[in-house]
Amino acid sequence: MKIVIIGASAAGISAAKTIKTSEPDTQIVIISKEDHIHSRCMLHKYLGHERDVKGISFVHENFFAENNITWLKNTTVVDLDTDKKFVRTNDNQAIYFDKLLIATGASYFIPPIPGLREAKNVYGFRDLKDAQLLDSECKTAKNAVVIGAGLVGMDAAVALLERGLKVTVIEMMNGIMGLQLDEKSSQAYQQLFEEHEAEFLLSDKVTSVDLDEAGKGKTIHLTSGKSVCADVIVIAAGVRPSFDFVERSGIATKNAILVGDDLQTNIKGIYAAGDVIGISGIWPNAMKQGKIAAINMLGEKLRYEDRYALKNTTNFYGLTTLSLGNINPKPEENFDVLIREDRNNYQKIVMKSGVIHGVIIQGNINSTGFWQYLIKNKIDVSGMDKDVFDLSYADFYKVDSNSGEYLYAI
Amino acid sequence: MKRIIIDREKCDGCLNCNVACISAHEEGSNFYTVNLGSVDSETRNFIKFDAKTGYTPIFCRHCDEPECVLSCMSGAMEKDLVTGHVKYDESKCAACYMCVMNCPYGVLKPDNKTRTKVIKCDFCEEKPDGPSCVKACPKQAIEVKEISR
Repeated sequence: MKIVIIGASAAGISAAKTIKTSEPDTQIVIISKEDHIHSRCMLHKYLGHERDVKGISFVHENFFAENNITWLKNTTVVDLDTDKKFVRTNDNQAIYFDKLLIATGASYFIPPIPGLREAKNVYGFRDLKDAQLLDSECKTAKNAVVIGAGLVGMDAAVALLERGLKVTVIEMMNGIMGLQLDEKSSQAYQQLFEEHEAEFLLSDKVTSVDLDEAGKGKTIHLTSGKSVCADVIVIAAGVRPSFDFVERSGIATKNAILVGDDLQTNIKGIYAAGDVIGISGIWPNAMKQGKIAAINMLGEKLRYEDRYALKNTTNFYGLTTLSLGNINPKPEENFDVLIREDRNNYQKIVMKSGVIHGVIIQGNINSTGFWQYLIKNKIDVSGMDKDVFDLSYADFYKVDSNSGEYLYAI
Repeated sequence: MKRIIIDREKCDGCLNCNVACISAHEEGSNFYTVNLGSVDSETRNFIKFDAKTGYTPIFCRHCDEPECVLSCMSGAMEKDLVTGHVKYDESKCAACYMCVMNCPYGVLKPDNKTRTKVIKCDFCEEKPDGPSCVKACPKQAIEVKEISR
């Protein structure tokens, strides 16, 4: 059987590994626009000159040769024929398949703000190519502006600070990483960034960007009336699934490629996984989707059930935070919000009727992996007869007597 | 594969396994010289205790379907297909801690001193006679057994 995988990030590589582990004789072709496999979660380490291109790879150096996988790098897919079962590449090759996995991920989005899309010094921070372009800008630029203070924006900021640029971060919300953190935990990071000389313009929005004669965005105007000077601009205002090439193929889409529980599209034998299906934008979920799609392409009928996506860990300047679920409940949701803190730790639990809906653990995040299990499985902890902050896996401890693996006693 | 099999009933919480683990991962250290108060002294296994449940030994299972490996974005965490053990390469790790978040049993943790790596059981792979914790357990509450996969 011949399986073609489009995309070589988390979902695509995880699928290829899974296929080669269970059925090594399967022929695999991976098509990717990149010429270096890399983890986008480590781009800041590349831009900050902490690691080189090799250092941000998440596969072995000889991954493709070792696994006998054909890799078409620097290649994009421009068309898909679902009847004749082939994809057409930008260099006009027709690559035939028995099964296809679309793992093309997502691309960054530049909001339609006057001057912003036209400016020649605006970069996303999504792929190695973006980081490389930014890297060369950093050689001369002095002032960097990051639009968007989500995880990607803060990754970019930390790297630009590392490179010695003056960094200003603009954010619509009133705190940084507002989707992952609450006010208190967000301020802890903001303070750390400020200690490293970052400046923040919060609760503010870009209204227009003035271009210089070379077409570069120089002055950024904000709703508040303030303006900021920029030599280089990083846009981190969200991403959109990338699937242009399926437009005429009959594959069902709705802002993302639509898949069933088996991760198959509406066309038999064509699967999709990772950011392109728009279910979640986080690495572990993309890996699992890639794995499940791969197993199904080999004829099994696994369902993608572990869909929980409201989860994140953050580590900037050695301050670590775990955040899960609904961490900023609205008053009308009537949740109980419990706080426990000391000078090094901040912990928050959001719960109702014994079920935990959200958790923030900032500081010591040792052994906190069990919280995700409790939240996503809606485990009722009201009968536990102990302080909820003191819960651990030990309270749900169970060992499978045959395999010795752990289970949950609930 | 070989797995450390736990008999919770036999554990009496002496923490010899903790000391052995710390000592095994500290160069030149042994049971007598190990400095338990040092920030470098980190154990990869835990004994949780409370009055209701008693002693609960929590040791990395090197799971058949390891969530830590599936969550690793740097390639640092890998399931060795020959030994079955989940190996961790500190030099690759980017300290994002998604593995800490995704281990359903709360086994993994960041290192206390630098927050740049993960503290993870390596099955004492380099020691010819196997995991140090098992050798140190006076109650045989933990034993290495061959598990068929």
